[in-house]
Order: sequence, then C-alpha cells, then structure tokens
Amino acid sequence: MLTKFETKSNRVRGLSFHSKRPWILASLHSGVIQLWDYRMGTLLDRFEEHDGPVRSVHFHNSQPLFVSGGDDSKIKVWNYKTDRCLFTLLGHLDYIRTVEFHNECPWIVTASDDRTIRIWNWLSRTCISVLTGHGHYVMCASFHPKEYLVVSASLDQTIRVWDIGALRKKTVALADDTSRLNRMNTYLLGEVDVIVKYVLEGHDRGVNWASFHPKLPLIVSGADDRQVKLWRMNDTEAWEMDTLRGHTSNVSCVIFHTRQGIIVSNSEDRSICIWDATKRTALQTFRREHDRFWILAAHPEMNLLAAGHDSGMIVFKLERERPAFSVSEDTLYYFRDQFLRSYEFSSQKEKQVCIIRRPGSIFLNQGPRTLSFIPTENAVLICSDVDGGSYELYIVPNYGARKDDVIKVKKGSGGSAVVVARNRFAVLDRSSNQVLVKNLKNETVKKSFLPIVTDAIYYAGTGNILCRAGDRVVIFDLQQRITLGELQTPSVKYVVWSGDMETVALLSKHTIVIAGKKLVHLCTLHETIRVKSGAWDENGVFIYTTLNHIKYYLPNGDSGIIRTLDVPIYLTKVSGNNIYCLDRDGKNKVIPIDSTEYMFKLALLRKRYDHVMSMIKSSKLRGQAVVAYLQQKGFAEVALHFAKDQKTRFYLALKSGNIQVAVASAKEIDEKDCWYRLGIEALRQGNTSIVEYAYQRTKNFERLSFLYLVAGNIEKLCKMLRTAEIKNDVMGQFHNALYLGDIQECAKILENAGHLPLAYITASIHGLTEIADRLAAELGDNVPSLPEGKGCSLLMPPRPLVCSGDWPMLRVMRGVSEGGLDYGGRTGHEEEEEATGADWGDDGLELVDAEGAMQNGVLEVEDAEADEENDVEGGWDLEDLELPPDIDAPKATGNAATLFVAPTPGMPVSRIWIQKSSLAGEHAAAGNFDTAMRLLNRQLGIRNFAPLKPLFMDLHMGSHTYLNAFASAPVISIAVEKGWSESASANVRGPPALVYILSQLDEKLKIAYRATTEGKFSEALRVFLNILHTIPLIVVGSRREVDEVKELIEIAKEYVVGLKMEVKRKEIKDNSLWQQELAAYFANCKLHRIHMKLVLASAMTTCFKGGNYSTAAYFARMLVESSPSEAQAKKARQVLQACGDRKDASQLNYDSRNPFVVCGATFVPLYQGQKDISCPYCRARFVPAIEGQICAVCEIAVVGADASGLLCSPTQTR
Amino acid sequence: MASSAGPDHLFNLRNSFYLGAYQDAINKSDIPNLSPDDAVERDSLVYRSYIALGSYQLVISEIDSSAPTALQAVKLLALYLAGDKESAIASLQEWLNDAAIGNNPAFRLIAGIIFMHEQNYNEAFKHTNSGGTLELHALNVQIYLKMHRSDYAEKQLKIMLQIDEDHTLTQLANAWVNLAVGGSKIQETYLIFQDFSEKNQVTPLVLNGKAVCCMHMGRFDEAETLLLEALNRDSKDAESLANIVVCSLHLGKPAARYLSQLKLSHPDHMLVQRASSAEVIFERAVQAIA
Repeated sequence: MLTKFETKSNRVRGLSFHSKRPWILASLHSGVIQLWDYRMGTLLDRFEEHDGPVRSVHFHNSQPLFVSGGDDSKIKVWNYKTDRCLFTLLGHLDYIRTVEFHNECPWIVTASDDRTIRIWNWLSRTCISVLTGHGHYVMCASFHPKEYLVVSASLDQTIRVWDIGALRKKTVALADDTSRLNRMNTYLLGEVDVIVKYVLEGHDRGVNWASFHPKLPLIVSGADDRQVKLWRMNDTEAWEMDTLRGHTSNVSCVIFHTRQGIIVSNSEDRSICIWDATKRTALQTFRREHDRFWILAAHPEMNLLAAGHDSGMIVFKLERERPAFSVSEDTLYYFRDQFLRSYEFSSQKEKQVCIIRRPGSIFLNQGPRTLSFIPTENAVLICSDVDGGSYELYIVPNYGARKDDVIKVKKGSGGSAVVVARNRFAVLDRSSNQVLVKNLKNETVKKSFLPIVTDAIYYAGTGNILCRAGDRVVIFDLQQRITLGELQTPSVKYVVWSGDMETVALLSKHTIVIAGKKLVHLCTLHETIRVKSGAWDENGVFIYTTLNHIKYYLPNGDSGIIRTLDVPIYLTKVSGNNIYCLDRDGKNKVIPIDSTEYMFKLALLRKRYDHVMSMIKSSKLRGQAVVAYLQQKGFAEVALHFAKDQKTRFYLALKSGNIQVAVASAKEIDEKDCWYRLGIEALRQGNTSIVEYAYQRTKNFERLSFLYLVAGNIEKLCKMLRTAEIKNDVMGQFHNALYLGDIQECAKILENAGHLPLAYITASIHGLTEIADRLAAELGDNVPSLPEGKGCSLLMPPRPLVCSGDWPMLRVMRGVSEGGLDYGGRTGHEEEEEATGADWGDDGLELVDAEGAMQNGVLEVEDAEADEENDVEGGWDLEDLELPPDIDAPKATGNAATLFVAPTPGMPVSRIWIQKSSLAGEHAAAGNFDTAMRLLNRQLGIRNFAPLKPLFMDLHMGSHTYLNAFASAPVISIAVEKGWSESASANVRGPPALVYILSQLDEKLKIAYRATTEGKFSEALRVFLNILHTIPLIVVGSRREVDEVKELIEIAKEYVVGLKMEVKRKEIKDNSLWQQELAAYFANCKLHRIHMKLVLASAMTTCFKGGNYSTAAYFARMLVESSPSEAQAKKARQVLQACGDRKDASQLNYDSRNPFVVCGATFVPLYQGQKDISCPYCRARFVPAIEGQICAVCEIAVVGADASGLLCSPTQTR
Repeated sequence: MASSAGPDHLFNLRNSFYLGAYQDAINKSDIPNLSPDDAVERDSLVYRSYIALGSYQLVISEIDSSAPTALQAVKLLALYLAGDKESAIASLQEWLNDAAIGNNPAFRLIAGIIFMHEQNYNEAFKHTNSGGTLELHALNVQIYLKMHRSDYAEKQLKIMLQIDEDHTLTQLANAWVNLAVGGSKIQETYLIFQDFSEKNQVTPLVLNGKAVCCMHMGRFDEAETLLLEALNRDSKDAESLANIVVCSLHLGKPAARYLSQLKLSHPDHMLVQRASSAEVIFERAVQAIA
C-alpha cells in the first residue's frame, strides 16, 4: 500500500473522490464534512449544517454538487462552488446510511434505517420512489454504473437487487407531462415502478455493504458474519459464487477495484484486505493499530483508493504506476505488458524488443521497479520487489531470433541491482551491507562492504555506485573500495545524471538536490508537492515534473514553471522544445514546451549576450516577470528592452546609466522625484547639461545656482541672481551674490532686507568704505564692532579657469545590448581568383576560355562500362590460416622455471600476407621488397625501381600500427588488415590494408586534369607520372576496377606523352618547324575533350604563325567541330578564313589522314604499318631503336621486355 | 574472485601508471599510511614512471645501493635504457644468479623487460614464465605477441582473467591480444579503451588504443581525430606520432612532417627502425634484380 495522503480527524463515515480534481470529501461522525485537496494536502473547505454524524457524501460526476446524508434524517445537496447547501430533502424517518448520485439521470438514491430506500429527483427536489421490502435497517444502496439497477444491503441479512428501468421510462415521459403533480401522487402511492429483481440470501448476519462490479454481472458484499461474499447474476437469477474469509470482525465496506481484478474490503478488525477476484484468495492485508475501518471509496478514473477509519482517513494506491525505463543515447527501453519495448526519440518509433515472462506478475507491487539496458551486450536488468527484492537478468537475442522466444532469465535476490560497467552489474545485499559485482553470467566476481548502511544503490558512472541511506548518499568506487563523495540529503528516490556525467540530480519526495560528480553540493530546491521525475536537457538545464507541473531548474538555482500537467508523467528525455515522457499507462508521449524563458535565463547566466539579444529581437518574451528577473539579476540594460512602462524604464535606465533613455522617460513622466533622481545620476556621470536641465525642470534654484558655481558658469549665475530678484527670494539672491563674489550686491541685499548691521560688516571688512560709512551713519550708535586681533581672510569664490559644457564623463559600461543589437551582417568574403591560362597564353593568341573551361568542365573520367558485369565482386577468399601447430610446445611445466621451454616464434602477419599473394603491392607492404620487385619485373617488365622507392616505403610504413603496451617495454606492432567487418572472425588474416587505393588515384587524376587546364604542364606531368608509378602497386577488389585501372594507365600514358612533347616544345625556341610538329602531335594524343580544344587551338595558332596554313586550317576545322567556346570558335573561323586555300609554307612530318601514334622517346610519328615496339607496362609505342631502354614515358619499365601483364586484383588469379 | 578486502591505496597510482599517465602517477604518489611493502611498490611505480618519461638519470642517481631489490631492478632498467646496455645486462645476470634475488617478482619483471628489449625472448621467459603477479603475466602476454604466438598469449590472458577480471592490466592485456587476433575482437577492444577513457583520465595511450582500433576497422578519419587529440596532450608522444604517420598515409595526406618529428624525438622508435631497414632492403633488392 502506498499511502499518498492521510488526515487526522473524528471518525470518517463517508468518502467521495472528485472525478476531475484532486479532491476528496470526508464526512465525519462529528457532523462536519471536509473537502480536502489530497495532492497538496490541504483542507479546502468545511461544511457544517448536519446535526449529528454524517454517514455518507457523494460528488456529482459533472455538476459542482455533492450530496450528504446523516443521522438527522436530512439529505442535503450542496454546491461547493458557492459554498452553501442548496436544499434539503426530507422524507426519511430515521438515520440515513448512504447517499449516491446517478451517473446520468438527476437522481439520488438513499438508504435509511427506516427500512426504505428512496430515489429522489434533485432537479424537482422530490422523492420519486420509495423502495420498501427490507425488514431491517438498510445499510447501503447504490446504482449500477450502466444498467438501471440498484443494489442494497440490509441488516435483515439479505441483499436486494432492484430493477428501476420502469422508473426511468416514467421520468422521461414525465418531462413532457404537464399535469406533473397529479402523476406524482401516483408514484408516491403505487410502487409498481421499482420491482425487486433478486433477493440474495447467504449471510448469517446483517449485511453492511454491497456493490456492483463496474463491468461484469457481479456483486460483492460484506457482512457482520465477517465474510465477504461474491454473487453472480444473469437475466433471470442470481446466486452466490464464493465466500472470502479472513476478516476477524464485521466487514464494513467492500468494493471491486476499477482497474485490476481485485476486491478491496475493510473491516472493524482494523484491516484492509486485498483479494484476487478470479482466484478468490487473499493477496495482502494492511492493518492499523487502533482504528477500525468504516468506509472505502475508489477514484472513478485514477488508480486511487481512500479508506475512512476511527481517527481520520487515508488516500492510497495499491501499486506503483511508474513504468520502469532506461535511456541509452537515442533510445528508450521500457517495460509494459510483459514486453521489453524500445522507443527511438528521433523517429518516435516504438518497437517490441522481446517478450519477458515474469513470474507471479499478478501480485501487488511485483512489477519491475527499475530497468537497465546494456546496449553493447543487449542485456536487460530488471529489479523488482518479488521475494522481498530481487533482480532478473535477460540477455536479449539478436534481432534474428523470433519475437515469441522466451528468454532465459538469470535471477538473484538483492535490494537493488544496477549496471556498473559494460559487462558488470552490482547487486546490493542488504543483510550483510555488501555489494556484489557480477558478470553477465550472473557469477560474482567481487564483493565489497559498503561504507554506510545502504538501502538502495544507483549508477554513478562506470565502476561507481551511489549508495543511499536514509539521510545521505555516498559515491563508492567498487574497484578501489573507497568513498569518492558524500552528501547529506533527504531520502533520495531517484537519481538522474546529466549527459556528461558531470552533474547529478537527486530527487527526493519534496526536494531536488543538484550535486557535482563527486557529490559536491551545488544547490537544493524545495517543492511543496511531490517531485516525480526529471531529465537534463542538452544545455545543462534540469527539467523536472511534480504531480502537476513541468518545471525547470537552472544551474544557478533559479527555477520556474514551464507548464501545468493534468496527470503525472515520467520524463525520459528533453530535447530542444520537446519533452519525451511516459505516462502511467506506459505510453510514450511527446510534449512540446516553450523553452524560451529558461533558455533566455540560461543565456544570461552563461553571459551569452548574443543569444540574449537574438531572443530579445525575436521578442518571444514579454511581461513584467522578465523585467523583474533581469533587474534582480543585475541586467538592467537588458531589462530596458522589455519594459514598456515609462516609470520602470526610467528606473532601469538610471540603473544601467543610460541617461538618454532616462531623460526621454523623465520627460514622459515629468514628476519632481524623477527629475531629482535624474539629476543625481547625471551629476554622478558628470553630465552637467542634463543636471542643469533636471534642476531647471524641478525649479530647484538653489541646486542650480550651486551647480553653476561649481561649473564656473558666472554668466548663468548672474542670471540666477536676477531671477531670484524677480522672485523676490532674498535668500536666493544672497546666495547667488555670495557665489558670484559680488560684495556690493551682498551688502545691498542685506541692506534691503533690513539686516543693516550685517550689511555694514560685510561692507566694511571687504573695504567698501563708501557703503560702510553710509550704513554706519544709518545705524548710528548701533554700529557693530568688528572682531580684532585675529588673522582673517576674506571668503571669495575662486575665479573659474574654464567654463565649457560637460565635465569629463564617467565611462558608462557600454551595454551588451547595444553592441548586440547593432550587429549587422558582414560583407561577403573575397573570392580567390584562380590563376589560369598563364602558360597557355604564351603564344600570342590568348586562350581566354581557359578559366571558363576549367570551371565548366566537370572533369570526369569517361564512364567505363565494364564488360564483365556479371563477374562477382571479388573478395579475399583466403582459407583460414592455421597458426603453426605447436608441436614443440611443452606440456605444463608446473613451477619449475628451468623446465620451461619457450615456444618457437610464430609467423608474423606480414609473412602470412605474402604466402598466398602474387600482388606486388602486398609484398611491398609486407616488407618483402625483393619479391615485390621480382613480381613487378615479371608482370610489367619494370626494371627501374628508383622512382618507386617512396611508394615502397610508404606501403611498408603504413602496414603496421603501434601500441605501447607495457611501460618501458618495446612497443607492439600490429598489422593493419583490409576489409574489416563486425562479423569477421578472429585469428583469420585478411590482406593488408594498403595506403594506396584506387579512389586516391581518381583524386590525383582530377588534380592532374586541373593542372593541365591551368597550363601548369610540369606539375601535371609530375602527377600523371605519379599515377603511373602508383598503379603497379595498387590492389583492387573487382574485375571492373581492374579495367578502371587499365584505363587509367592508358589515360596517364597519353597525357604523359603529350605533356612531354609540350614541355619539349617550350624548350626549343629556334626550331619553328619542330615546334609546329610537336604541337600537331600533341593534338593527336587522346585527351579529355576540354584539353583537346585547348591543344587544337594551340596547334592551330602555332601552325598559322609558322605559315602552314593548310595544317592550321585543318586544326581550325577540328576545333570548330569539337564544340568550342564562343571565343575559340570565332578565332577558329577567323583562322579558317585567313587560311583559305593557302598551302603550307613548309613540309611538316604530319599526315592528318594517316593514323599514327607518337614515339614516346623521340616524338616522331609512327604511322600505321610502321614497325614499332612498346613498353610492357604503359603500352607507349616507340621506334624499334629504343628497345631495351627504360621507357621514356613511365620511366620504370624496359621497352620491349617480356611481361605477363598487370596483376592488381586477387580476382585475376582465380 | 577477489575477496572483499580493504581499500587498495595504490589503486589510482597503478592505474595511472598502466594507462600512461606517468606525470599523474608521480603527482599522486604522496599517499599516507602505506605498509612497507606498499611503499616499495609505490616507489618502484614512481621510478618506473620517471623512466617512462625518459628521466633515467634521476632514477639512477636517486636509488642508492641500500635500496630494496625491487628498486635496484628499476635502477638497472634505467641504466639499460640510458644506453649502458652491456654493464646493465652484466649486473643483471649477476643478480639473477642469486636465487634470493632472482625470485623477486619485481626483479624478474625488469629482467623480462630488458631481455625483451634485447629480443632474447627465451631468456626473458626464463624469468617471467612462471608468473606470479599480474604484471608478469601481462609481460608474458606481450612477449608472446612479439613472437606472434597469440595462441599462447590468449592462454596467459585466461590466467589473468581468472586472477582479476576487472584489473586494468587484465583489461589492457585483453585489448592487446584482441588487437593481435583481429576480426570481431577489434570492436571489443575499442570498447575496452572506451571504458578506460570514461572511467579514468584520457591519456595518449588510451587515445592511441582507440585510434589503432579505428584504423583496423578502416575508420581512418576517426583515428586521425583521436590521434590529433593525443598529440594535443603530448606533442612528442612516440606512438601518437608513429600512428598518425600511418594514418596520414592511409588518408593520402602528407606524413613527412610527423615522420621527421618522430625521427628527431624518437630515433629508435620501431617505425623509424623499420623504415631505415626497409631502405636497406630496398637497395639490396634493387641490386639483386639488376
């Protein structure tokens, strides 16, 4: 039993839950009816009009009404909103035992000791039926929730079921009937409307309670014979089904539970019994020390019960409703209806992971209490209260397994169990106060005594647990067996770690404590109602739920309400503006929230003013609360943006020192006080003009004068003097005169004011003898004597040196807001210009299109369609390589170290690589350079290995990684293998992962193309050569890729030949003829389309310049045909025109009609039919004389050598 | 199964040492209330940390002849690594002949390490094979791996697992063996290193471990990030440099700078040695084929 709320009072005889609000009515033996809020635990109202005990109360399910009945034989209907009794129904002649509203009709049913049951219409406030038949007090009467039936229990030892169907028909008819009163009489007289359907006999004593099952045709009853009986009925009869024995005194009340298949009964033996309704066995008994139970009530919608006893009442529930869940990255794992389910937050998809059949699930509170999921091992750890605390471990089979497979469970007992590492969990053994660390086979691997008497453990990072005692928690390191941190807290119920495991929220019943990793206390928050759950958002804000709110909690301790809740929820994750949660039915929900407020506060807290500003600008925030918050936190200038009220604005402006805004507001408000304050602030800052303005506005002449004095503004002071004169303000005049040092004026003022002696003294000491004499004459005998003998000096105001405007002002902190708000976009960055065409342009005719060509040209290798489509993509199919059998491995040698013979060294992985391979690259990676070279020589006729040296080195270097295993011991090298997959089995060696892969070559090709386009020929040549040098060492997987490689050789070869000729052409300056020939040959190479155009244009230009118009025209035509750019086409047409039919000036060794290839070494054309010889690797063609030399194109192979051909894939050898 | 004994005072120190947080181990070494045995072990760990940091002379000068055997062994190691190989081995042999000293596990461990450096695995095994401490077993694992006998290494590992499955050394040895046998075990190894980085401070050793796993799984980009982080923590860490050379090669990025850095700071690193021997082999092979 989970007690939610308890009251102390007089004996409680009647109880009723409100269907929507968290309210319960309790009617007391003392005659009082109490209205409680059981969530907040407060007494909302008292209703005292009944005389003597009130035995029953009932809320109406939709109207703001309740009904009560008591020993004063009165039935009272109350409106709880207006807080008064609406009317009283009179008629019963004795105590009223129960009262109840009907769900739909405007009826009340009452049971009384006058042996009658009455049905009343509370709209017409009349009794519409009197049900007679019971032979003794009627203890209880209630409506059926759906059908038109009433069940009643009486001390005459019977239970009666009444059919009130006819009554309903009558009432409906009644509504249309005008002669209502006449008819009414007939109801009162004739009792034909209600007939007794069944009389249930079986109890041996008076029956105290009977109630219907909400759905099934069942009745349960409790009687003074200490028995609870179960009855069943059908259309024609009703019979006793079973008797539940167990109570030791009168059973006072018994009801069916609305949700579960259980019966709850209470009795004067001071106990509440829970019975299984189907098995009819007692499940549990709750006992009180001294209080007899009198009444039970069930909440119509929620899983709550209430019971009244001799000294108060309790609100309770039988089972926990919190679903067990655990969150692992993006997935929530939880348990519902015998299934472990998963829920993906990002996609909001729900899935059944597996079925988990748990034993004895029907028992109360035996459901999973906590659940942990270990994603790497697919293991689920569930803790429950079964057998006084136990855990169950399930290893979920991989997804291949059938869903309905029952998974084997590993069990054990323990207070609580948590996962502490990838393959470890800790179980609390409360009896010995030890924690057992177990592996996933449920074997104990370690035991540790705990530092405090622990009643529960929680996860606290890998290898650590958080132990909870009643008044504190400690973090305990299981490996070191030491306490890492300790914190005093109220009894912690739930522990929520932040994503980075740096902060933890400890949730107690009414408090939240936030602490650091080592339990360093950060802050504590008190709640008046229960804290239910919590989760950290990505920004370090803790979002939590209470019974009826979602709230936030900032790292600095500020908290606030995000929204209210109707029903409790259990947070699982917070992400941006969404809250993910489970409800009490174990269903996933996403609740959108407005995070602006707390994000705003967080931004302020983190001093992320740019965020603050952007939030202000998007102005999602409004209201006084924000202003107050900002002001309180010292962000007056930020608050200024929110304040609309001028007064607030004014004060905020003063606080932030923003004089301009303050002046504007002060003008609006125009109150003396404001000006005064403004003056003070302006003075503080040194802004004298504002000070002056403020004083002027308030007509504060004295201050103004003083200000002028201080500021040295003589002119204005004079003006002030005159003003004072006009105003006839003598004191002001005198002050001003004094400030001005105008003694004559002073004396005059004093004189005019009638202070002649003072005037005289003033005049005389300042040496104004004329006036002094005159005054002396006037004063006559009363001439005051001047003090003598003391060294006096005259008080004269100093002359101001300067008088100009404001003083140097205090620097007012430039508000974060100003900078933030003024922030504008920045201008776009400059684009780097590509230097292109420099070299192409050498020839006078500019290839203006070079850059364009480069940009347009998506340089792609022509799509190579492999012939062998069907060829299976080859993988490595090496047989499992058994390690050499340990023939000479000695048997266990025991302790005698001398007998130990070390095993022979095994085979390094690199040797395994070369055993089966005939690929040069793999041999090179393994470090077997000589075999690699021999292979290359045999396959490709390569003899010049010098250019390949860096490649060999890189391959070798990249074949192993290094691991510093044991301090100061030599490092271990580990061979890197290709084609790793999760399912790869251990100890099977794959081929080496080479540092050169085909995709890299593709990249290089693109670079080379670009270099060519840009006219950087030597650069391009270098890259193409590099490609040619890398290819012999490359290893690819499929036949198709082999073809790609071969094609790549062809491309590279063509470009190398062409580029070499171009470079050559640049070198020879004097031989125009040869230059033209080379340009023409270059145009003969098979190049990319874009390059072809460039080359053609170049050849055309060269020939045109050389006077070979016919050839130039030929190239021009070619160029025009190759869809050139506008400029190129124009130039080509011009050339064509210029050439006309003109003949070549000199004979070129170039015949465009006769197909030819160019010799790679001598650059002469080899026409079809001519004898030639080729390079075994790159297939470049040469004149026969070259045979036996190193190929001039690829620079590695020997021309004319015998070779078996390129071998670059294991598929080729199959 | 370890019994439920009292707190282990040297736990943190040992962990830091095994995971390569040498300076941290030195800093943490001031532990009160140590038993004499623990104190010796503490000193030995601290000196070994200094050796790992390359401060050989400090160790040589601080340990005098009156120090316990375990520390004498550490001093020998320092002498050996400082370059005085012949005399170190000579005195090592001399000490080993003394049965009382020769049975000291700490001494045997150092002997094993020195002979391993000498690549004299048979001699190393003479002293280490009977095991006795987790460290010795771990060394055995490593020697077997050096000899490419992962089958034997796995047997040693099993013994370690029985002694203390959760010990850092056991986990480390498990990682070494897994990496050597490859296949699906690599992922498990990654998780082991991941556990280390979650539970303890992140050291270049752990980052390297993760990076090596990534490389073996073909995830070179991820490995590069990890290695750069490791270099961030210690820009001269030999393995980080060596591995980033390998990683850069696989990514097709220039590795020359890292390589020359490694050559400068650790001229006798395995990668450098392999590279220079490869050059010799290359030249010889060119000669042979010509």
